[in-house]
Order: sequence, then structure tokens, then C-alpha cells
Amino acid sequence: MAMHPFAYANANSLEEAAANLDGETRPLAGGTDLVALMKDGLVAPKRLVNLKTVPGLAGVVAHADGLHIGALTTLSNLASNPELQERRDLAALVEALEESATPQLRHTATIGGNLLQWPRCWYFRNPQVPCWRKGGRRCFAFQGENKYHTIFGGGPCFAPHPSDPSVALMALDASVLVVGPQDRDHRNGFRVVPLAEFFVLPRRDHEWADGYHPVTLLETDEIVAAVVVPQAADGARSAFVKVMERGAWDFALVSAAVSLTMDGNRVAASRVVLGGVAPIPWRANQAEAALRGERVSEDGVARAVRAAVADARPLGHNEYKVALAKQALAQAFRALA
Amino acid sequence: MTMPFRGPAAVPLVLHVNGEDFHVFVEPRRTLLSVLREELGLTGAKLGCGHGQCGACTVILDGETAYACLTLAIDCEDREIRTIEGLMRGDSLHPVQEALIAHDGYQCGFCTPGQVMSAVSLLEHNPRPTDDEIREGMAGNVCRCGAYPNIIASVAAAAELMAAEGD
Amino acid sequence: MPKIRKTKVEFEGRIEEREVIVEEEHVETWPRGATLRLVGKPTPRVDGVARVSGRALYTHDVQLPRMLIGRFLRSPHPHARIKAVDSAKAEALPGVALVWHRYHPAPIATLEGREIFPEEVAYEGAEVAFVAARDDRTAEDALALINVTYELLPFAFDLESATAEDAPKVLLDEGNWVSREGDVYQRGDVGTGLGDADEVVELTFTTPIASHCCLETHGSAASWEGDQVTVWHSTQSVFGTRSSVADALGIPMDKVRVISDYIGGGFGSKWGAEPYTLMAILAARETRRPVKAVLGREEEHLAAGYRPGSWQRVRLGAREDGTLTLIEHDAKVATGAFGGGGPVIGGPSKDLYACPNVRTVVRTSRTNADHARAFRAPGYVEGTFALEGAMDALAHKLGMDPLTLRMKNYAEMSPSRGGPYTFKGLRQAYEMGAERFGWSRAVPTDLPNGQGPWRRGRGIASQIWGGGGGPPANAIVRLLPDGTAELSVGVQDIGTGTKTVLTQVAAEELGLPLEAVRCIIGDTLPAPYGPGSGGSVTLASTTPAVRSACREVLRQVIALAAVMLGLEDASVDDFDVERGDIVYRKDPDRRLAFARVTAKMGDYTIVAKGARGPNPDDKAVNTFGAHFAEVAVNVETGQLRVERIVAVHDIGRVVNPLTATSQVYGGVMMGVGYATTEERIIDPATGLQLTANLEDYKVPLVTDTPAIEVLFVDVADTEANSVGSKGLGEPPIIPVAAAIANAVFDAVGVRVTDLPITPDRLLALLSRASNAGFSKEVE
Repeated sequence: MAMHPFAYANANSLEEAAANLDGETRPLAGGTDLVALMKDGLVAPKRLVNLKTVPGLAGVVAHADGLHIGALTTLSNLASNPELQERRDLAALVEALEESATPQLRHTATIGGNLLQWPRCWYFRNPQVPCWRKGGRRCFAFQGENKYHTIFGGGPCFAPHPSDPSVALMALDASVLVVGPQDRDHRNGFRVVPLAEFFVLPRRDHEWADGYHPVTLLETDEIVAAVVVPQAADGARSAFVKVMERGAWDFALVSAAVSLTMDGNRVAASRVVLGGVAPIPWRANQAEAALRGERVSEDGVARAVRAAVADARPLGHNEYKVALAKQALAQAFRALA
Repeated sequence: MTMPFRGPAAVPLVLHVNGEDFHVFVEPRRTLLSVLREELGLTGAKLGCGHGQCGACTVILDGETAYACLTLAIDCEDREIRTIEGLMRGDSLHPVQEALIAHDGYQCGFCTPGQVMSAVSLLEHNPRPTDDEIREGMAGNVCRCGAYPNIIASVAAAAELMAAEGD
Repeated sequence: MPKIRKTKVEFEGRIEEREVIVEEEHVETWPRGATLRLVGKPTPRVDGVARVSGRALYTHDVQLPRMLIGRFLRSPHPHARIKAVDSAKAEALPGVALVWHRYHPAPIATLEGREIFPEEVAYEGAEVAFVAARDDRTAEDALALINVTYELLPFAFDLESATAEDAPKVLLDEGNWVSREGDVYQRGDVGTGLGDADEVVELTFTTPIASHCCLETHGSAASWEGDQVTVWHSTQSVFGTRSSVADALGIPMDKVRVISDYIGGGFGSKWGAEPYTLMAILAARETRRPVKAVLGREEEHLAAGYRPGSWQRVRLGAREDGTLTLIEHDAKVATGAFGGGGPVIGGPSKDLYACPNVRTVVRTSRTNADHARAFRAPGYVEGTFALEGAMDALAHKLGMDPLTLRMKNYAEMSPSRGGPYTFKGLRQAYEMGAERFGWSRAVPTDLPNGQGPWRRGRGIASQIWGGGGGPPANAIVRLLPDGTAELSVGVQDIGTGTKTVLTQVAAEELGLPLEAVRCIIGDTLPAPYGPGSGGSVTLASTTPAVRSACREVLRQVIALAAVMLGLEDASVDDFDVERGDIVYRKDPDRRLAFARVTAKMGDYTIVAKGARGPNPDDKAVNTFGAHFAEVAVNVETGQLRVERIVAVHDIGRVVNPLTATSQVYGGVMMGVGYATTEERIIDPATGLQLTANLEDYKVPLVTDTPAIEVLFVDVADTEANSVGSKGLGEPPIIPVAAAIANAVFDAVGVRVTDLPITPDRLLALLSRASNAGFSKEVE
């Protein structure tokens, strides 16, 4: 299917771009997801606003509140950033970036766009299938072919979130800086939203004008300007593990990111996040609770891993993801032990 | 703050391809691949899937590989575009091309232009890649004929050739 | 002088007796150990520069002045009746040249007896309308403006649903079974085989639907000049295409020229004229402009064929010492709405082992899918997975080494034909492979058992295939005044290196350097008939014809040289050709450089034709191979890593070890994909394909490449043909999946009988087998 015709403009500033956005005018960054969606006729904006011409949107800058990663930073530039490469607390992010997609896609795709990807679900991506996420009445995966679908937080949509970096970023307690119209909740022109709030589970009342149910709370007139990774405590470390069916270029069957801060040989704080298992990057709160004050021993890990999947609700064809999630998580812990 | 939108009808664009400027008149919805192939007659880059899932359309944009099928042509103004057609110097092959011939790093050849561009870019960024780095660097190009062992050998051999030329 | 003869030719598991016109070969067979200058030497492809520079022109790349682009509207439903098509808006769109559909049909409405736009569409992707427009955007915009009214019909999306008691009808006017009783092969008696057995194993296997995924999707372009049409077609058979185009149009063959210079993969899926071909040709005639119609990637999955999935049950019986008493192999396949007969799944069971009692059955059902097509060793890939998996299980049950069991049942004579082989090197393949692989040594310990979640294992599987080729195949050689030559053969190079081996053989025979022979293929106009690139027959069919033509050229050159040497009365047999010289055998000092003879010719061109001779009577011509696989299995994640494959093949003389090795790499990789990641998944509720792309249909990547070691038995099969070579396109995919699954069994003790071996399947098997004591899940 040919893309619907659209008009195109280069933005000079975020404010200018945001002021022009609406349901029919969409921002364009790397375009690796948007152009594919447009080719399939799944979205058909009338206008695209190119964000790549906005000065200062790409790159990594250290601020008092942590690292600010410009939303237009490509995955490959971010992965090779010297500061990221050096810091053990950020290792999960580098690993997640390096295991994403392919060199070509990493050169093109941006970190902001990566967080805003639509599900890769084979029902969602099929223009013939009127699934719930696209404004239809039901999820076709729920009782259909769902080996790649969710084991947590599913319903009404059971498609997992496709981003690897988001899993790592959530484990690093990152936030996004969102620019939007002054008249809403954007003091100084922006608002800061923790990723844990930014990603939203499928909700019937959370809907765009075109009937689509978005994966984040971003409104159609808002733009992600930056990802903010807060300064971690001294000695914090992180790891990321991804399980795929192919050696590369595959979305995660399951991924796991763990960030640990130790107090002596006991866990002072941890953030444990699973990917490929829920409509959003899935924070495993029970695992974190189980770890608090514990050693990272075989027993401690086993308890945490069990706790992480205690609430899993697999579908007809993805029971195996429960075992995979446990193993991926255990591997991530092993990497940090 | 109304912005100067161009299109949706055809608009004039200047593309810098292989060191030359090309003036084209195309709709904003045109991909770089479609403009290269249909407007400029540069048919080396192939349309294999149109969705960034095969790599046959790989070109080098501002020094890094990209899928031309997912790239809008209008997004490429003021960028340096390199395609397979710009690789040879007269009749002399790039070392990657020489190595692919010597090591039979292809079969049907349809994916080869994309493989060549990925290999060229890989070696420009990493002149002495390890076996693992070659695999990671070439992971974005499908070869359905399965010439992979010889593709790996070709990239390694090209690295040697280029190192020898650099000496 | 041509004569009519009968000869037997094996093609994809079926022996055909053909009545063919053959000419006497004038060529002595190259003996084993012959000293050859070019043949047998690793030779980079003669068209390498075109392939690496982007200059090679594929059908996709055809661009002609004023060319239109054709696109299809396809059924979004697996089974429906078309009630109405409203194309008014599409026709009115500027840039649209024509729109054809059921109610506004093209001048020719059928292809090979089937309606192109039928009332009843029986699969997702069935053609509903065709648009030709000034470019692809306009054509696709037009498709979106066509309004079709469908009456939805019940559908059967897979073998199981199509063969159930109350199954919906795949086609309203046909039963779902194409062949319920099945294609049956039998020798001996099942009851006797069972009675004689000390041990019996019985296993059930399933294999997935696999997509060819040619990187160049199917496509054609057409251009008319007067009453002559030139068709560019991405095809494995330019001559097959010429016949089918002439048939479809009802015009003489001489009005049709088919060109397929470079082909972006075929693997069994690209043959004669298809709906897109015919529509492009007709639209070109109608609009008086060239028209190109190529499929998109999704259409390639929906409407360009596949290897059918299979259900198989294998029962083996053996005596205590391993001697097979019974092979019983039942298979069911679903080949689509118009699929016809199933592939020869029983082929390996029939011929791989000496066994007195064998019965194979292949039952075929329709499904609401496009028709299945040949896919690299059709039937044999599926059948070998089951047979060789069952052999492994039998070896385990008997407590025998799997290789010993295979040697024990080695077939010296062709089991199904009864007679001898021209040459069979499978024993050598087993021995060479075992030696290289280190089969008798213990499992390597650098990734030790018992440490961490990875377990390592090793497995073997073997293979038989045809590939002997046969007539008819022709070649024409023209010797030019400067001593260079043009070779014209009616074949095409689908990536196997055909052009290069033909050039090697011609240069060898003519005594010329490789560079002095230009090989012209992929075009019906200059060449006499050549076979399609299928059944692994190209090399064995055509290279003897090339030799024959070259020999005739030499005869003529020698005759001229004799005159120039003042030896008018000598016979041509009195001369040898040695390194570019024509030498009088009785007095080797009387010699003349080849180039001096041709220089004398002026503009006279020596032209000679050669033909492929018949196959030997009453001998089977086959190819053989053995694969040894080493895998690592993660018992925690169910991930499978294929680490090493040693592949040994007997294909007679290896003409070009460089490209032959590539063929084996390619077959192994495709087998790795088939065994580990590739699977077409269809939604049961909607009947829609969910994997019609290259993201969800997972072909292997460079990151999935094991260490592959390729060996050839490389003994010329001097009874097969004058070159001594047989085909290699298909054999190397055949044993891969079985070798891998057998290695998985060795690693973790579970027998995988369902492909592909993905983490979900492997984890399920591992948890079921937890009593084996290796499940180290964190629990």
C-alpha cells in the first residue's frame, strides 16, 4: 500500500513543532516505525513535522539532576557515548541499545522514537485486523496466536512493548521531558514524567481522536524532548539480558534489566524490570521487595525471581515466557553478582 | 507559528548522491529508495521488503548505513548519500568488492549491494573487526541464499586488503 | 544425426522415462584423475563484477521509457465469493491506464485453465483486480479506491481443519481431499517386516509451512514490438516461461522472447508465466507501453508458494543387530486450494536404506491457501527429517551408534530400482565426515556438561537425491576470428554459479583461457533449449552438451589446421589440442597455435551445436550426503545454538569447488532456518497469515551462522555423463534439520519431532522430561 500523501516541514524549535501538532500532524524523528506504519496504512498523517532540524535535540549532556539524553539522539550514537560506555551503573542501557535491531536501524532510530514505538503485534500490524489497540472491539491475540504476547498486565490489549532501551531506562529510574502547549500542565513549556508513569497499561478511556489507544500518556500535541537518567548512588550497577529466537534483529521474547545499589554485601535498593512480557516495560515490584536487605546469593536471587513471576498470567501459547522471564532475570543477577 | 509545509504534491529537492547534486521533483511521501531507483536510475540498492526487514536497500547516509526504504527522500536534503554506484573508482573495485568476488561472498547477488555498503561502512568505522564484530556489523542484511560464511570471510579479507593498502 | 531414444531422468524424487531426440556425443568422458586445467579449480564467478557493483540487472531493475507499473488488489479473506467490484473511482484517478477485474476482464481471462479473477476466491492474497498506472504510488492509490463486495465463506486454514469430519469446503465444488488414499509405494510386506523385527520404533513428526522468501520478489515486465513480445521474468526457466506465455496468449513461440539475466533467488518457486506475468503482457499490448508488475513482500508470502507443512508417522523395525526389516512412512500434507499432488515425502524412506519391507503413503488435502510449490528438495527435506529422526531413535533403542546403524543398512544397489548405481559415494561421505567431525571422540569439553545451563550434543543424518540430469539440453558455441568464443546455453543462473561452470567447461574443452569464453544465458533468443533450474539438474544436463559443442568446434578447427599444416589427408582423430596448440599426434613437431588458425578465418565464424546424451540404461544416478551437527542447548531458556556442521557430499566430479562450497553453505543455512526459526503462522480465527513479512517469518541471519565445514567425495561419476558431475543445488538442505534434532537429543535427551525447534517448544519438552535429571530451572 502506498503511503497517503502528506505535507512536510522542518521544525526550527520544539515550541514551533509542538504548536503545529495535532492528530493529523505528527512529529517525525528517525521514522523507522512511523514510515513503516504509514506504508501499511495504519497511520495516515496529513502533515509531518521533522524534528531533526531542531537544534540541540541530539546528544548527551550532564546536568545536576542527571544525564539529559536528547530525544533525537540515535541509538548508535547513544550506545557509543563515552560517558555511557564507562559507567557501570548505566551498563544495562548500553547493552539494551547494542542488542536492539540492526546497525542500520540503530543509526537511524532515535531514543525518543524508540520509547514511542507502537506494538509489533502481528494482529496490530495487519491492516485487515480491526484490533482493540487500533480502535477495534477486541484483542485478536487473546484467544489467537499469542506465543509472543504478554504474561503480565494484558487486556484489553495483550501486545508486549517492543523497546529494549525502555526496559533498561526504567530500571535506571529515568524520566522523560515532555514539551507541549503552555495552556496545559507544562510549566516553563515542559513537564517531567517518570517512565513508570509515562507508559500506560491499555485503558478504554485512554484514546486518541483516531480511535487508537496509545501506549504512553503522550498527547498528540506533545513531544518527548529528552530522557533524563538520574544520578545513581555510588557503586550502583546494572545489567540487561535479552532472549531472542534469532541471533539478532529480533524483538525480545523476554528481556530483563536490573539495577542494584549495595550497602556492603546487602541490597540497599534495586529496580527490576522485565521486557517483552507486558504492554509496557514491567516493573517487578515484588522482586525488588524480596531483595531489599538481602545478599545477592543463589537463594536470594531465586526468591526474587520467583516473586517476579508470581503474578504471571500466561495466555494459551506463551507459558514458556514465565520460565524465560525467570531465567533472564537470574542471568541479569548473575551478571551483577 | 505556522510552519512552511511543503507538499503533499511534488516539491523540488536537491540530493547529494555520490558527490553529485541531483535536482528532483517528488512528493514528500517518496522514499529515498524509490527516488534513487526511479528518478536517478541508480538501481543498485534493491527493494526487498520495504519495511527495514531485509537490508537490500542499504545506503550510507552521512557516513552511516541506513535503510533507504524507510528513509524519506525529503529527509535527505543536505545529507551526503552514498550508494553502491559511487564505490568504484573508474574500473577499480573497492577492496570489499574484490574480496567478495575472491571469496564468493554472494550467490544470487540481490542482497549484495546492501551487503557491500554495510561492509564498507563497518570497515570505515572499525578497520580491524573481530569475527563477532563482523557478525554484529553485518546483522542488518539478510542473505536468503545463505552466503554468510563467505560474507564473513570476505569482510575479514577486505580488512586485510585495506590494511595492506594503508601501509 | 539426431535419433529418438528413451531415457530415464530423475526429477525431484520421481523417475520419468522420456522419449527424447538425442545426438551422438562426440566426446570421451573425462576419466577419474584426469588432469584438467580449469575444471576442478576454485574459480571466482565470471560475472562477479556485475554482482558486486550493483550493475547486475534483475527483473526488478527493468526500466523502459514510458513504462507503466502493474499492481494487484488481493483478497483479504481466505475464502469468499465476489459479489461486486466497483472500480469507477480507480479508473478516474489521473495516471491510471487500466483496471481489470471479474466484471471488467482482461482480454484473456484464464491462465493454465484457471480463471485469473474467479468468482470464488479461495485464499488470502488471491487476485481480485489489476491496475496499471504511471508509477507504483498511483497504482496503489488506485487499488485503495476499488470497492469489492465479498460474501464470506467458511474456510479451512490447515491440514487438521481441512481433513476434519465436518470440515468446511475449501472449494465449493471440490472435495477437500486431493488424494485420500494417497500416493503409495510398496515393496515387500509390512506384516513380514514387523514379524521379523526384534525392536520397533514409531514416531510422529510435524513440519511447518516454510516460505521461500526469495529476496527478489516474483515479477515480470513486458514490452511489445509489433506482434513480438519481450518478457523479463524472474524465473528458474526461461524456456518454460516462453512455452507458458505462448500458450496463454495463443501465439507462436517465435513471437515470445524471455529474458532473465540475473535472478534474485528462486529456490523452487519461480517458473512459468503467472497472473502478474500475463497481466503485464496484456496491459502492455493494450496500452502500447511497457508494463512491469512485481510482487510486494507481503504478496510474496501470500501468493508465491511455500513448502507445505506435513504430518508424518514413521515406524521402523529392526533385528537386534540393526538390520532393518521395516520402514513404514505415512504422511499427510496440505497443498493449498489448487495444490495438486503432494511432494515425494516417502522418497528417502524408499531409497536411503536397504530394507526389504517398505511402505510409504502421502495423502494430500486442499486448504484455503495459495498452491504449494517446489521448495529446495521438495518432500525430501520433510521426509528425511522424519526418517533420520526415527533412525536415531532406533539406534538409541538398540544401543547402537547411529553411524554404525546407517552403515549396517547401507544400500549398495538402488533399493527401489533394483539395479546398481552409476556411482555411490555415501560410504566415503560417512567416513570422511566422521573423521573430520571427530565422531568417534567424546563430546568436546570446552563447554562442559554439568556447568551452567548449556548442554552440548552431536547428531548425524544422511541424504539421497537425484541430480543426474539428462536430455534434452543443448549448447551452441561460436568461435570468433580472434580465437575467442561465445557459448550460448538456454539456462539461467539463479545464483548457483551456472554461468561460471559452463564457462569453465567450455574453456577447458577448447583449450582457451577462461577470459576468452563469453557465456550467454538467461535469454531464449540466442540459445537452443535448456532445462529449468530445478531438481539440481542444470550442471549435469548442460555441461556435457557444452563439451559436445566445443568438441565439434575443435573438429572444424583441426580440419582447417590440417590444411594449413599440409596434412589434408590426416583424420581429425590424428590431432590433439594441447595448451592452445593443435598437434599432429604422429609428429608432435607439426603443430599450429589455435589463434593462428582462427586468424586465417577472416570473418568466417565456426558454429557448432552440442546436445546432452542419454543417461545410462538400467543404472540409477543419484547424489548422496552426510551431515554431522554439533549443537548447544540452554536447558533454562530453551535456546538452541547450532555450533558446527560438517557436510560431506557425493556429487561426482566437482567442477568449481568455490561455488560448490557456496551451495553447501546456502543449503545448510536454509536448513538451519527450517530447523530453528522459520514457520508460517496462520490465525485460526481469521485465516490470515500472521507472518507475511521478514520480521515475523524469521530467516537466519549472519549471527545465526554455525561453523560449516564442507567436504566433497569428489570422485568423477564416469558412467553418469561425460563430465562426471551431478547436481548440488538441493542436497545440502536435506539432512540439516534431522542432524540438528538428533544432536539436540544427544544434548538433552529429548526427541524433538516438531519443527522449528524454538525456545517455547524446547522448554515444553524439557519440562516434560524433567525426570532425566538435567532440568536446572530456578524453582
